[in-house]
Amino acid sequence: MNSKVTINRLHTGVPGLDAILGGGLPELSFNLIVGPPGSGKTTLAHQIMFALATREQPALFFTVLGEPPLKMLRYQQQFSFFDFDKVNESIRFVNLSDDFATGNFEQVLERIAQEVEAYSPALVIVDSFRPVMLEAQHQSKGVLSLQLFIQQLGTQLSGWQATTFLVGEFLSKSDPHPVLTVADGLLSLDQSVYRNSMVRKMQVLKMRGQETLPGMHTFRITSTGIEIFPAAVILVDAGDAPVTSGVLRSNKRLTMGVPRLDEMLGGGLPSGYSLLVAGPSGSGKTILATAFLAEGVRLGEAGVIVAFEQTPSQSWIRTLDDMIRAGQIGLINNRSLDLSIDEIVQRLINLIQ
Amino acid sequence: MPTMDIYREAIRRTLTQRAGDAPDANAVAEAAISTWQKTAAQIAPVIGVGGIDVLFNRSLHLTCIAFPWLTIVGDHRDHSALLANIKAHLASRDTDIAVEAGCTLLVTFTELLISLIGESLVERLLGPVWVPLLPGSEQENKS
Repeated sequence: MNSKVTINRLHTGVPGLDAILGGGLPELSFNLIVGPPGSGKTTLAHQIMFALATREQPALFFTVLGEPPLKMLRYQQQFSFFDFDKVNESIRFVNLSDDFATGNFEQVLERIAQEVEAYSPALVIVDSFRPVMLEAQHQSKGVLSLQLFIQQLGTQLSGWQATTFLVGEFLSKSDPHPVLTVADGLLSLDQSVYRNSMVRKMQVLKMRGQETLPGMHTFRITSTGIEIFPAAVILVDAGDAPVTSGVLRSNKRLTMGVPRLDEMLGGGLPSGYSLLVAGPSGSGKTILATAFLAEGVRLGEAGVIVAFEQTPSQSWIRTLDDMIRAGQIGLINNRSLDLSIDEIVQRLINLIQ
Repeated sequence: MPTMDIYREAIRRTLTQRAGDAPDANAVAEAAISTWQKTAAQIAPVIGVGGIDVLFNRSLHLTCIAFPWLTIVGDHRDHSALLANIKAHLASRDTDIAVEAGCTLLVTFTELLISLIGESLVERLLGPVWVPLLPGSEQENKS
């Protein structure tokens, strides 16, 4: 009997999040969601909560001094994941602002303990923790320090078998807050404006016990909630196993739809190759691409086109537009205002699959 | 029937049933305050006592437009004193008028809450407070 503990991974219900977390959210972990105002922290927490909460595995959502709960409920219910049937059945909202007003952390901890004991939640979220931090700076010495408070909270919630999220704005790169060492997982959200486009990014700074996808991952907030587009990572060829994939090693040639060109290429484009077609405006790049796609359609091969500058419906090449309308060719029409390569790659992969 | 009328009916039904058979204004006042306290107890964990006080004071202000005699001068921060005051005002009126004013106050609060967080959520939160329709009652026969 020396089998090591198995950490269950929970499916967060946020498209792309499980992938960047390295397979899901570790059960009973103590996590932080941090980021500036408006970066989507509360939305992320809500989306995870509504996905995970069931009658058997209920969730408790503590609201602190941040966003007034009335406003939070008013706006969060606009997302399609907000399931009214779960409120007060598998999800309970608890307001702690009155307890925080006393400024006594021990009392707050006691209140959280009472609620958790009474409700036995599998998921606990405390939103937001920034006010707690600010309050803590005004605490007199001798009372429970914030570090100790967070640590006790983390210990207690793991003991009560709850997976926990603290939501807050506390992250300064120059002065990492001690609470960050207590946490098992740390998700950092950010938003930046580049020219006319707003880009939202998420980073898993820490997730104990599992390998996460490194780097900044683009995400978008729509009426269905958050969708993350994991950064495109090229798989490293370790070199220890020969590539035996039939596609890569096949000698198959794809005809380009231009007979003379196929002859020049020695029978067409080798399967699996990337081909860059470059040339000045009007030299026939789009016509060549359209011929290639049309040849594929003729031979029963589906194709995908990503358009950056002109939409096929505006193009004078009717063939392309007709093939797209007939569903023979998939189209990704890029919105240049919020260009994100990861999002395009993700949509491209979905379409190809 | 619009949803708002369902709330109105549910609140009226709750108030009159709590007031008992052949109630006087005092019983109505008693029922109105106890219904309010149950409502507040249901909402307070979610939006906090501070949030409730703000909505209640606004509801009282709006109710006083139709029932000016319910206007309570003074400090509204002491909620229990305010409730005692409202109860005394209701008890001093005719029974029918007390029922109308009590209903209006509770309905106004509910409508205010609906305007902020929507009907579905208010129904989830306040449903347990209202006295349900009895099987075979007049309302159910209609549907």
